[in-house]
Amino acid sequence: MLLTLDILTTAAILFIVSIGLLAIFGVLKIINFAHGAWLTVGAYCAVVTAKIGLNPWAALPLAFVIGAALGGLAEHFIIRPLYRRPLDAILATWGLGIVLGQLITLAFGRDVQLTPNLYAGTVEILGVDYSAYRLVALGIALAIGTLFALTIERTRLGLSARAVIMNETLARSLGIDTGRVRLVVFMIGAGFAGLAGVLLTPLTSVDPNMGVSWLIGAFMLVMVADASYLALAAACLVFGAAQVLISTFVSPILGSIAVAVLAALVLRISPKGFSRA
Amino acid sequence: MVKWSLVGAAALALAATAAQAADGKPIVIGIPIGLSGANSVVAPSVVQAAELAVEEINAKGGVLGRKLVLEVADDASGAAGAQKAFDSLIYQKKVDVLISMETSAARNAGLPAVTKGKVPYIYTSFYEGHSCNRNMFVDAWVPEQQVPPVVDAFKAKGAKTYFLIGSDYAFGRGMLGFAKSYVEKAGGKVLGEEYLPMDGSDWTAIVSKLKEAKPDALITSTAGGAPNVTLTKQLRGAGVTLPFANLALDEGTAKSMGADAEGVYLSASYVTGIDSPENKAFLAAMQKKFSAELRTPNDLSVPEYEAIYLYKAAVEKAGGTETAKVLEALPTVSFTGPRGTITMSKQHHAPLTMYLGQIQKDGTVKVAGTFKDVDPGEQCPKLP
Repeated sequence: MLLTLDILTTAAILFIVSIGLLAIFGVLKIINFAHGAWLTVGAYCAVVTAKIGLNPWAALPLAFVIGAALGGLAEHFIIRPLYRRPLDAILATWGLGIVLGQLITLAFGRDVQLTPNLYAGTVEILGVDYSAYRLVALGIALAIGTLFALTIERTRLGLSARAVIMNETLARSLGIDTGRVRLVVFMIGAGFAGLAGVLLTPLTSVDPNMGVSWLIGAFMLVMVADASYLALAAACLVFGAAQVLISTFVSPILGSIAVAVLAALVLRISPKGFSRA
Repeated sequence: MVKWSLVGAAALALAATAAQAADGKPIVIGIPIGLSGANSVVAPSVVQAAELAVEEINAKGGVLGRKLVLEVADDASGAAGAQKAFDSLIYQKKVDVLISMETSAARNAGLPAVTKGKVPYIYTSFYEGHSCNRNMFVDAWVPEQQVPPVVDAFKAKGAKTYFLIGSDYAFGRGMLGFAKSYVEKAGGKVLGEEYLPMDGSDWTAIVSKLKEAKPDALITSTAGGAPNVTLTKQLRGAGVTLPFANLALDEGTAKSMGADAEGVYLSASYVTGIDSPENKAFLAAMQKKFSAELRTPNDLSVPEYEAIYLYKAAVEKAGGTETAKVLEALPTVSFTGPRGTITMSKQHHAPLTMYLGQIQKDGTVKVAGTFKDVDPGEQCPKLP
């Protein structure tokens, strides 16, 4: 039972962390290597919320808004000229991540920051005491997934985004403002990254480098999932399960590289990853 | 006859001027330290402690009439930076002594330069033990001193089974390896020993294993800072309420963890709550000198402060800064500082009074036990 819960919640946390990266990669076809920095920015929103004495949950909308606003600026001034040069975009976003990390260090210092717990305590499920927050995270992951699915499938923006994914030239000739679609999608992706940062605070230390350790995992998952959120959910479940099982039965040291190694293997065997399934 | 006495007088006069020149020349203390990298959070507090010691000693006339000067160099908390820092301090700045807190990697990388440059080196950081060099003395703790208070206290509370969790690196494995052998010697049982890489952030599986093993007590030794906070948060999130000792916890980190650290035990040779006139005077002097800029004194900065006084005592006993004589004097001199009376008399290491602290709700540390003059054990049996 404990194992099942560990697998489900680990997958949920992986999904929350990587959905913002997936949104940007899916539509813009560039990997936002500043994703880790956006997670960090989101987490520091939780620090600020605590400092001014608001309810810890108020950090969620704040992080989304700030993440999206910063995302808008980054898209306009840095990413936009690089759409035709995806390699340069990797370099630019990586650099942007370093700059953001240093700005955070300047403003808050290198030290580990204190954040209030979003949801403390444990719940008893079928005879095991389990972290209540991890269960809440599972719910939030499902909610984010549903919201994402509805946006993609049921809204005008989702329709335009899908059109851009399939054939951008055709979409533009049909009168879709593809530039605007890109901007809005980047802002949403960055907003979700900020949101994920807040949701990580009960699980991890908040310091200027916190995002880096999550970036690699998210990157691997998105590579495997290509542009599909359903494939991402599947990848999170499979790799999350592998991580938990290897950590439990073999060694946590091997478990912590499971996602990266398995993703590389999957891509070697099937370059399109999980998205074909 | 007259001629000879004249020569003698001239020689005496020359000797006198030479001695005066030595009097006027300051004694330079080199501090290679991690101003950047992993130690950057704690390094400023160490430099502050050194500055206070030097200011106090100079205000009272210096050492043998000579002033003390600090020369600080960044070792970037690692081996490559340390080689540069030690080289520049020893060969360019021509320091008389090195006194500093550093990572084990930086210390090991710097030692060849210390041997070659023939300078005394006082290492002021707690570490995994058994680092031996003729020129090096250590005034901070080793596992043999830090672990026993924790295990003894848990044993007294009736704990028989233990679970150990740490970061996968030399210090983490060294501490827990020693803890395991000490627990087993004391008749206890270790149910599990688990490690995660230093940059790992997901302790899920380890926490679940811990909960299934149902031990009486938990001992952790992660890398400082982020991994320590992450593990504690995830343990608390999972509702772990066992007696819990954190070998890598310091007062500053405890404060930044807030409620999650409440009840956790730590073991240290210095906590700010030590009730002695020397400690109170030290804290007051630090507060006065640095006021708003003050970094809370800690188990890494106080040994630096005391080491400078120990060096002063050794130079006074040796009658100068000549390395061979200072090294001879160092194990024989003592200084009574914030941590009590320190003498580096045991194979280049020091018996220390250890404190078992428990974190309170407001993040402060309450002294839950005092262990007088804990012996460092056989650290360097081959050294004279």
